[in-house]
Amino acid sequence: MQEIPRGWKWSLAVVLVLAMGMAEAATAAEKIVIGALYPMTGRAGRYGIDSVSGAEIAADEINAKGGVNGRMIDLIFNDSKANPAYSVKVAKRFITDDKVNFLMGVVSSAVGLAVTEVSKENKVIFVGTDHASTKLTTEKFQPYYFRVSNNTYQSAAAAALYAKDKKDWKKYYVLGPDYEYGHRTWEDFWMLLQRTRKDVQLAGQAWPKLFEPDYTPYITAILNAKPDVLVTTFWGGDTVAFIKQALPYKLFDKMKFFNYDAGGNYEVLEAMPNTLPKGLVLSSRHHLNWPDTKENRDFVNKYKAKTGRFPSYAAEGAYAGVYFIAEAVRQAGTAEDADKLVSVMEKMKIKLPEDPEGFTSYMRPIDHQIVQVQAIGETVPNNQYPPATMMLGNFKVYKAEDIIPTEEEIVNTRKEAAK
Amino acid sequence: MGGNIFLAQLLSGLTSAMTLFLVASGLTLIFGVVNVFNFAHGSFYLLGAYFAYQAVAVSGVGFWEGVILATLGAGVSGAVMEYVFLRRIYGRPGEAGFQILLTYSFILILDDVVKMIWGTDYKSISKPEALAGPLYFGEMIVPKYDIVVIGVGLLVAVGMWWMIKRTKFGRNLRAISSNREMAASLGVNVPLALSLVFGLATALGGLSGALSAPVRTVTPGAGIEVIIGSLIVVVIGGLGNFWGALVGALIIGEVTAFGILYLPQWAILFSYAVMALVLIFRPEGLLTKRSAAR
Amino acid sequence: MRSWRSAKAIRLGEAAQWGAGLLLFGTVPLLGKSYFVTMANEILVMGLFAMAFNLLYGVTGMLSFGQAAYYGVGGYAVGLLLSEGIVPFSVALPAAMVAGGILALVLGPLCIRLTGVYFTMLTLAFAEMVWAVVFKWYDFTGGDNGIQGIPVPDVLRNPLRYYYFTLAVVFVCFWILRKIVESPFGATLQAIRENQERVGFLGVNVRRYQLAAMILSGAFAGLAGGLFAGYQRSIHPDMLHWTKSGEVILMSILGGVSSFFGPLVGAAVILFIEDMIGKYTEFWEICIGSIMLAIVIFFPRGVIGTLGARLEGMRGNKGAGNEATRS
Repeated sequence: MQEIPRGWKWSLAVVLVLAMGMAEAATAAEKIVIGALYPMTGRAGRYGIDSVSGAEIAADEINAKGGVNGRMIDLIFNDSKANPAYSVKVAKRFITDDKVNFLMGVVSSAVGLAVTEVSKENKVIFVGTDHASTKLTTEKFQPYYFRVSNNTYQSAAAAALYAKDKKDWKKYYVLGPDYEYGHRTWEDFWMLLQRTRKDVQLAGQAWPKLFEPDYTPYITAILNAKPDVLVTTFWGGDTVAFIKQALPYKLFDKMKFFNYDAGGNYEVLEAMPNTLPKGLVLSSRHHLNWPDTKENRDFVNKYKAKTGRFPSYAAEGAYAGVYFIAEAVRQAGTAEDADKLVSVMEKMKIKLPEDPEGFTSYMRPIDHQIVQVQAIGETVPNNQYPPATMMLGNFKVYKAEDIIPTEEEIVNTRKEAAK
Repeated sequence: MGGNIFLAQLLSGLTSAMTLFLVASGLTLIFGVVNVFNFAHGSFYLLGAYFAYQAVAVSGVGFWEGVILATLGAGVSGAVMEYVFLRRIYGRPGEAGFQILLTYSFILILDDVVKMIWGTDYKSISKPEALAGPLYFGEMIVPKYDIVVIGVGLLVAVGMWWMIKRTKFGRNLRAISSNREMAASLGVNVPLALSLVFGLATALGGLSGALSAPVRTVTPGAGIEVIIGSLIVVVIGGLGNFWGALVGALIIGEVTAFGILYLPQWAILFSYAVMALVLIFRPEGLLTKRSAAR
Repeated sequence: MRSWRSAKAIRLGEAAQWGAGLLLFGTVPLLGKSYFVTMANEILVMGLFAMAFNLLYGVTGMLSFGQAAYYGVGGYAVGLLLSEGIVPFSVALPAAMVAGGILALVLGPLCIRLTGVYFTMLTLAFAEMVWAVVFKWYDFTGGDNGIQGIPVPDVLRNPLRYYYFTLAVVFVCFWILRKIVESPFGATLQAIRENQERVGFLGVNVRRYQLAAMILSGAFAGLAGGLFAGYQRSIHPDMLHWTKSGEVILMSILGGVSSFFGPLVGAAVILFIEDMIGKYTEFWEICIGSIMLAIVIFFPRGVIGTLGARLEGMRGNKGAGNEATRS
């Protein structure tokens, strides 16, 4: 007589476990899985870590509102190590083992170029959120790739418009890290500027290695060339090191300093409290204090609340990436049908913290590059974002449509590359 | 170009050279005496920078006090690394391979330690007020801080020379680098000397890091960039040869400074080109006697 | 007390080991997860690279810190030849081997003029220069971006097919390397490792043997690089970076430089560990660094060496026990 209750308990236990298992399986199948690759070590580590936080904020917000059509966002992160071979391996593992619906990331363009191949072969959408090489949307374009942060062309085009109006900017000197990003960012600018200003000339150029610790001999050479403007295409620590080393030479009194893609990133401003000079002309892919809209302020404050510090631009890119994916899934009604998602994403409009009033970022079908407004400013005293004591101000704003290549130009570039 | 630019590049080349020498001096010292190429040298450079940051920017200690603390900190860390870990592999068959792995493992470990303690933000310390400005030579500017760094570099060079040539400790080091066993049998406390010199070398690394902190970026990963540069300097001058490090640094510093004027597109290849020439024609380095390495 | 074994038995034992290895790798795809195939493919490629390195280090006693140059040159040979459509894969892959060998022929004589740690530093220095050239030569090599989308022949596009192809090539190379090590040539190399001077006194042209070892090592490293380029279908200057040279040193020492398959085992262990740790934490540097440190301190003979020693110890004890119980 004792067996029946025991048997009863066992059956109930089995049924419960099965039910839990099935429920687990059910919720697992219902999650939207995003596999994100970001550098978390080395010189680019700051951007990776900030991207992780930015993405998590977005995912938490979305999940708190019930997810996307009831499906929760699940983020998986892995260090990209800024190493293309390793990242490709991880991306493949994301796809085959973790069954991600989307790939997201990276910071290094070299990694981006490698991962986009994985995306193409496996037909898994790759949302790029930081790397800026235009190659990914021109020569190496493939339909499953989308980029939600601006590329070097957009920054350079805005810079060319800015420089066009500076009539006393005639002699230029360029100093940049000797690799594709450093060169390309300059070349795009110089090519566009020369279309509108026939009187500008290049007084000199120098290309130190990436992460060069000592710029002293470069500084004296620049001073000797006496340019009106020094363009630099540094990012991160190199910008900081250069400014620190150039300060005692009073370089910034003798010429304008123009670093229009990554020079004005927050991590640069925060690295030199009290010593950053005024009047540096800089831009960034996301400004903390521009546009002064509620969305941007909220984003910055949320980030500060979560991590205890202010975000570098990479955070907003990752935040945008997650929202972009979520919105696409909502509109397409699926996270699995990649081709359907592509057709939705191509035409998507999405309001981001970096959008000024009256503008909404949108995706362009021909190159899957997001079209956004760029703002260039100069360093002015501003204590709102400690430890930085200077932020950008006196912004000049450039319309999104004015700073993108025409469709014709893109088609031509692709034809050239295919030869 | 006028004489002014020549002088300006000469001086900025000299500044570069002295910073290079400061960083490389520790590396070559360890190699010469202990016969270890400490790949983690850059990590002690980085530790020195972070210790200086912690002392000066966080704890409010004075600049020079901070630099001294950082130097000591890096030195002690290095001596501990030698005593606890490196010592175990002396004399092992295949020691060279283990040396590479051990020092390389320290690069990885220290990089994460630094990241875990201080995070990924770029840290900064300010130069002391008195040294922050420029010195004018007519129209030419030389930053006061650079002159101080050159001065410290020269002090280190002379100090090292004096220690190696004129003190008992230095004599012991020379004996050890010549023949470790014989030095031991002659009564030299070899283990102690090895730990001390290792600590001294990493202290030099830390000193160069601390002095660089106001003018460079202090961030995880910034240690690796000095190791290849130091390797080039040290290989050109001769591995283990202290004056060789100075000569190598001067060559690289000046070649880069003038190369930038005439061939700015090729800046990153200059040091490799010089190294290639030296390695092809005098592989043991410019100052090492031919017989030592073959 | 060891049991007497005939030469035939020894050979059979060895054949069994090779058979087991082939079987092990051959059945990986049957486990169902395509990720295992990816991992196994990488293990084979890095294993070949590490074995090539060990021909120089474990066998000949030359610690080269620049083998990545040959690996990378092989990879770029395949990558460039296939991207430009100059030759088919069947020619490009052997070309990778030739490229590695030729580079060794050029750099080798420059490096072996010095011995010991000086030799090691020279190999590092020259490898850095090769890296710098590849990095800087944007128009030819794609510079810091590398080259992607390398066209591999359709018959090998399938990851499974490419895996079996790699398995075949790599095991043939292992067999060749084994023959080299066991030959009189190999014996001379090992003698050079033990006492270079004395071998010279025997009238052997030591330098020539060392150069030959470098060329063989470079050639097989180049082949490994070429296999990698075909598998990954993209190449990047990281393939020539000194950290890559360090990886094979680590793999060989971990696996055990005195055993033939040591480097292969080391490659497998390292790649697994890297993968596992990378998945779970961003602080992989301190984890892997600590593991490396532990290996150096506690496993001087590597995994295979230490395991082998333990097994010997166990066998010996068992025998002794038997002896004691026998009256």
